Amino acid sequence: MRNLAIVGIGLTKHVSKRRDVNIPELVYEAVKAALDDAGIHPKDLDALVTGNMPAFEGINCPELWGGGYWGGYRKPLIRITTGGSTGASVAQGAFYLVASGLYDIVLAVAFEKQSDGNTTIGLNTTALADVANMTAYGLSGPEIEASGAIGLFVYQATSYMAKSGCTIEHIDRAAAMLRNNAAKNPYAHLQQAGVTAADIAKTPMISYPLRFGHTCPTSDGACAMVLATEEKARKLSRKPVWVNGWAACSEEPAIVGLFGAGSINVDPAEQRSCKLAATKAYAMAGIKEPWKEIDLAEPYVPFAYQLFIYFERLLLCDEGNAPRLFDKGVMELDGNLPTCPSGAVVSSNAIGAAAMIRIAECALQIKGEAGQRQVTKDVHNAVAHGLGGQANLNVVTVLSDMPSRR
Amino acid sequence: MRRVAIVAYAQMKYTKNRNSSREVMIHDVAREALSMAGISKGDVDTVINAQNDYFDGRTISNMKTVASSGAYFKDESKIEMDGAFAAFYAYMRILTGNHDVAMVIGESMASCYPPYLPGIWSLDPTFDRPNGFLNEISAAALQARLYMHKYGVTEKQIAQVAVKNLKNANKNPYALRKMPQIAQKDVLQSRLLYAPIRELNAYPLTDGACAIILAEEGKARQIAKNPVWIAGVGCCHDTYFLGERELYECASLERAAEAAYKMAEIKNPQKQIHVVELHENFSHEELIYCEALGLCGRGKGGQLIDSKTTEINGSIPVNPSGGALSANPTYATGLIRLCEVAMQIRGEAGEHQVKHEVKIGLAHGQNGLCAQDNIVFILKGGDK
Repeated sequence: MRNLAIVGIGLTKHVSKRRDVNIPELVYEAVKAALDDAGIHPKDLDALVTGNMPAFEGINCPELWGGGYWGGYRKPLIRITTGGSTGASVAQGAFYLVASGLYDIVLAVAFEKQSDGNTTIGLNTTALADVANMTAYGLSGPEIEASGAIGLFVYQATSYMAKSGCTIEHIDRAAAMLRNNAAKNPYAHLQQAGVTAADIAKTPMISYPLRFGHTCPTSDGACAMVLATEEKARKLSRKPVWVNGWAACSEEPAIVGLFGAGSINVDPAEQRSCKLAATKAYAMAGIKEPWKEIDLAEPYVPFAYQLFIYFERLLLCDEGNAPRLFDKGVMELDGNLPTCPSGAVVSSNAIGAAAMIRIAECALQIKGEAGQRQVTKDVHNAVAHGLGGQANLNVVTVLSDMPSRR
Repeated sequence: MRRVAIVAYAQMKYTKNRNSSREVMIHDVAREALSMAGISKGDVDTVINAQNDYFDGRTISNMKTVASSGAYFKDESKIEMDGAFAAFYAYMRILTGNHDVAMVIGESMASCYPPYLPGIWSLDPTFDRPNGFLNEISAAALQARLYMHKYGVTEKQIAQVAVKNLKNANKNPYALRKMPQIAQKDVLQSRLLYAPIRELNAYPLTDGACAIILAEEGKARQIAKNPVWIAGVGCCHDTYFLGERELYECASLERAAEAAYKMAEIKNPQKQIHVVELHENFSHEELIYCEALGLCGRGKGGQLIDSKTTEINGSIPVNPSGGALSANPTYATGLIRLCEVAMQIRGEAGEHQVKHEVKIGLAHGQNGLCAQDNIVFILKGGDK
């Protein structure tokens, strides 16, 4: 397989409502930034990979509308969507296109403009298919209505807390750390510098154990990355970030799956698919002991407790140990294994883009271009994660400052 | 570069109303393809689903089809485009060496969504959608008119495309629209949708699914006696605004074909290609696509259909299966084209098997209004 690297990154500032632009214009800002970063022109692109969640803004396949505007005019273009993990799945689509040997320079673009629609209505359509199953298990009106995102993740949170000893105070402190990281990130949506765990603890409870302060906002934003082969990357970039390992894994939906085989029977906090994807991605990157070799992690954390669960499921520590490592400051910007220096999805969530931004953040940290939020230690290897579906699609990417395949 | 082949496929009887869940439909074709390959789901490394959230009526449509598509604890992803693009992505995945065997499934259930609405929802929401003039049929009508005007193609010639394809469909056990006695006048007298598009010029709303299994060379030879190799592939995206495209030709398909021909070393498609399966939603499209693919000269589509070259007994049969006019489960349609070409190359098409020997075939898929995205596969039988 060919080596490949990220040679350009473009992000937009996330806000709740971008009234000044439409979807193609918003996405173009990220595309332009990525192309400028790589120092290339749209004509240099060999192919595009794009995706977002169409039901959230009421436009079916918006790349049909905007694709030509993003450099896709008369080029191969494919659209990949997998829910929250869309951005990571799109990036991996671009990795495959470059690594296949058929395309040398590929643009990956993911985005969401949630202010154009209503995400909860979109999400409820996923739950409606399950209503028959849910009522069979004794769930009723309010639970079903709340089953968008938080209604799913409270099951995961309570299960995780019961097994790991993670407390609601841990979640408050995790949220405070992530919000403070976000305040140093100029692209992040929520800017709450100096917020403390005590402030988070005062926010209203949405659904136990998750408070308002533990949850992500709805954002408008986009992310684009230029991927290139080793030969092109060395010409285009002084510091290419190498994509050494990647994998995805799917399992049963985590509310109530088909024929009732979901979370009522299966533990939504187990996340075996994440462990399997991580194992494969590390093996591909030649990483044997991730807890020693990985310098930085960007798990997908739309709800603050997931900082712990996905730190563990990415095999960065023993199961149940993440809250204790967090207490020791391991995950802070100056810690041993800084985690979510970007401020995480909990601070800016443009759904389609969110999982790609995790990869982009790892790349920026490896390049040392993360500005105020640059972590103290040198970053050689980093792991990015995306979570989609009903917590049943996991996507893991390992990035490095050196190519692992010679 | 690795060589990749289609080693197994499965279709189902396409219907107006399947009356089952889409999961069952997906399960049936996945199971059938595995049984044709003689492998178990454990032998499959990656699964690509082709679905659309609007057509499925739920967001993140693939998350509920993990189990039924055999993707449990596998590297699964979803292409929200025609199934042929899903096959393209699966092909890319195998080429990298990360995966050896891939399952590709496309499905759609027209009986579960308001017909034609998902197409309207893909329009520019600030101008085209509120204006209410454009939808996939009215856009096709504009295209047909322009094409007829530009090259003097007649309504009868366009109707003849439907006659040819629907006659072929009679011999295809999976086809939905079967009309043994169909004649030009039936098409010309069928219900007018948007002039000059009539009901029999347009695809029928269809429930159905299709699956294929791809494998790299070593595995392909173990699994199948007669693997069908992917010799070339090309795809291309065009601009959204219809006014920026010359609708009477299909530039993005020309580009896609150019890339596929180059990869498969096809210099003279008229001589080298033995069978063609096109994804045409409306009958006039077939003539435009034949021109774009170089199967006839520019503007000669009308003469091509008159010459009977593209009939099942002609020298380049186009849509011997009946094509999308006989059954069009959106998002599976392009995959069905791949499947049909593989069947023709393997000599497994039964009653609609073309008479001459088929070594090289072309399969086409499209996406968007007036085929905004196009993809072309060149498939080859035999060892070389």
